[in-house]
Amino acid sequence: MLDPIILGQIGWTSLATTSYYVLFAVAFSLVLKVNRLFNFTQAAAMSIAFYAAYATVNLAGLPLIVGLAVSLVAVLLFSWLIETYGFAILREKKASVLFIFIFTFMVSEFVAYLLMLTFGTWPNTIFKTLLWPVSLVGNVAVSHWDVPAIASAASCCLLLALFLRFTRWGQFMIAVSDNPDLAELYGIDKRRVFLLAVMIAGALCAVGMILYGSRSQVQPKTSLELMLFATVATIVGGIGNIWGAAIAAIALGFVQNASVLFIPSQLQGLLLYAFLFVAIIFFPAGLKLPERKRTFESKTRQITPAPGVATPADKPAE
Amino acid sequence: MTKLRGSSRRSLFLAATALVAGLGLGGISPAAAQDALKFGLALPLTGAQALYGQDQITAAEMAVADINKAGGVNGKKLEMIVLDTQADPQVGINAVNRLVRVEKVPVFVTGFSGVVKAVAPIANDNKVVELSVGANSPSVAQLGEYVYTTYPLADIDVTALAKYVHKDLGKKRAAILYINDETGTVAADVFRKTFTAAGGQVVAFEAYDPKATDFTGQILKVRVSNPEVVHIHGLVSDTPQVIAQMRQLGLNQTVTSYAAIYNPRLIQSLGKGAEGIIVTSLAPGPSDSPKVKDYVDRWQKEKNREPNGLPYTQYLYDAPYLIAQVFGSLVKKGTPITGESFRQEMLAIKTFDLPVTGKTEILPNHTVTKPVYLMEVKDGQWVRKAIVE
Repeated sequence: MLDPIILGQIGWTSLATTSYYVLFAVAFSLVLKVNRLFNFTQAAAMSIAFYAAYATVNLAGLPLIVGLAVSLVAVLLFSWLIETYGFAILREKKASVLFIFIFTFMVSEFVAYLLMLTFGTWPNTIFKTLLWPVSLVGNVAVSHWDVPAIASAASCCLLLALFLRFTRWGQFMIAVSDNPDLAELYGIDKRRVFLLAVMIAGALCAVGMILYGSRSQVQPKTSLELMLFATVATIVGGIGNIWGAAIAAIALGFVQNASVLFIPSQLQGLLLYAFLFVAIIFFPAGLKLPERKRTFESKTRQITPAPGVATPADKPAE
Repeated sequence: MTKLRGSSRRSLFLAATALVAGLGLGGISPAAAQDALKFGLALPLTGAQALYGQDQITAAEMAVADINKAGGVNGKKLEMIVLDTQADPQVGINAVNRLVRVEKVPVFVTGFSGVVKAVAPIANDNKVVELSVGANSPSVAQLGEYVYTTYPLADIDVTALAKYVHKDLGKKRAAILYINDETGTVAADVFRKTFTAAGGQVVAFEAYDPKATDFTGQILKVRVSNPEVVHIHGLVSDTPQVIAQMRQLGLNQTVTSYAAIYNPRLIQSLGKGAEGIIVTSLAPGPSDSPKVKDYVDRWQKEKNREPNGLPYTQYLYDAPYLIAQVFGSLVKKGTPITGESFRQEMLAIKTFDLPVTGKTEILPNHTVTKPVYLMEVKDGQWVRKAIVE
């Protein structure tokens, strides 16, 4: 069983199929890091993104690029609504974490039922067929879906990394995730940052669901099941560690696929729960990689205050 | 959550209308509405299995409407109370408790193995007949004195299929891929035992998780085992993807499956990859019976499509006819209608000639026997391959 072709095939297919899982895990982890909430409305955003693309591409027969645009518009609108009329109000009312957690589940169930009423429960795909052409690369089957999927997920992650590292709003997000109240003192509008995080997560979900729905069948409640993987990857990768979640998603996908070579396939479904159990009990803060040595510049790098806003350093001594 | 639907709502409306008319005209009294012969129907109206459940309920509603249009049961109206189970055992228990304790029905119809099993103790404890229609786990036959099935169990169609694959198709090496739940595990085991007993060899026996989205590991194990045929026992939501991945990984062997996969969307999803797939069907098709053709034409006319899971809906269409015949016989004899009298009368009648599934014999072991129809995808269409008696 353990010949190089089989391992190569499992490795390649796992890498390709974890492309959407990486996006879901990064989206979930980003909101957890910045907004400090377990956002299970992400399942609703994922479903909305899929059905918008499905209606545009499969039902209306329009090109995928239009489907992607419609999907993004739908999911961004949903993200704006949920942040503005949901999370913002709950934060204002100082709702407990548990209450917000229940709210996110309720929204996802509600959206799933709405989609069920609108589109029915028959499993659907973005394109009419599930079959993708295949090329053999050294006896490893590479479907024509694989490379674009990996490239899309990698591009999204790269764009997010660049955004967080080099843009003003990206640095505001990091600042808010570190200490929202202190960030506010520096003139950062944390409400806009929270909104931005939810909207970026929504956009990642849209890309992820288009990848998923062009290869697998989707029902209104499928996204709730997909969230289990995103949650496990986020916890295993370390809560608040976006890239840890992405790496955990890839590793979990590979381990899950390869596991059937070593354990009875009936036990495969237990693996995710086993990882979750071990991660929560033994690594509640996630699996930490050794910290990289910081340069003097990065240590002393400061966030530029918003224009016209005084920093604590500008304040006269009392 | 349970909810009233369809004929129940209509019945409430009719009852209210009758009451108003009765008060106004001194004609029909509310007592007349109570003369209706009631039975329950508990199936998924919502949830992941609703695509089948809704069409099954529609089929039963069509039958009730047809029976009442033709004069009812010995002049009495047949009334069906529909409740949602979401195909979830806990929701099913709530629904059936309401049917038995509030609606006081002597018999109810339900489906989906998990629900059928979960509600069986309620039927047995309250001496109310549970008719399972569609659940195919062989264990359904052992759920107690008041639980019967009008649908052939998995050991009927999967047994017939496994024998046919070995004897008639001449395949000696089979691989089995199955979903790791009640539907898959039992039926996969039946296929394995039957195929092995017939002299074949099961070279791979692999499960996949109901939440799985990738099946590469299992399919590669199947590929290594070099089978001549692959039997897949999954759900309509995962089986097309399993087959798509198989084809992409170079497995072009004959694929067999069961009645849940028998639908036109499978061919659309898989295109040429669907060619040669063989599935079972436990009811005659439109080309086998003019009544079935009329039934399918009616769906086309009223809903502009074929029903999802055509054979299942045929059994659901026939269930009210079976119940009506038992009710009719009891009314004729003047016997009070209870769960116990219903059960005894059903067993006494024993053989029913039903409109769209044909002759049905209720066996003492709580099951039925039916011929198994094998359907194959040929040139992008389902065509009948064989009938196995």
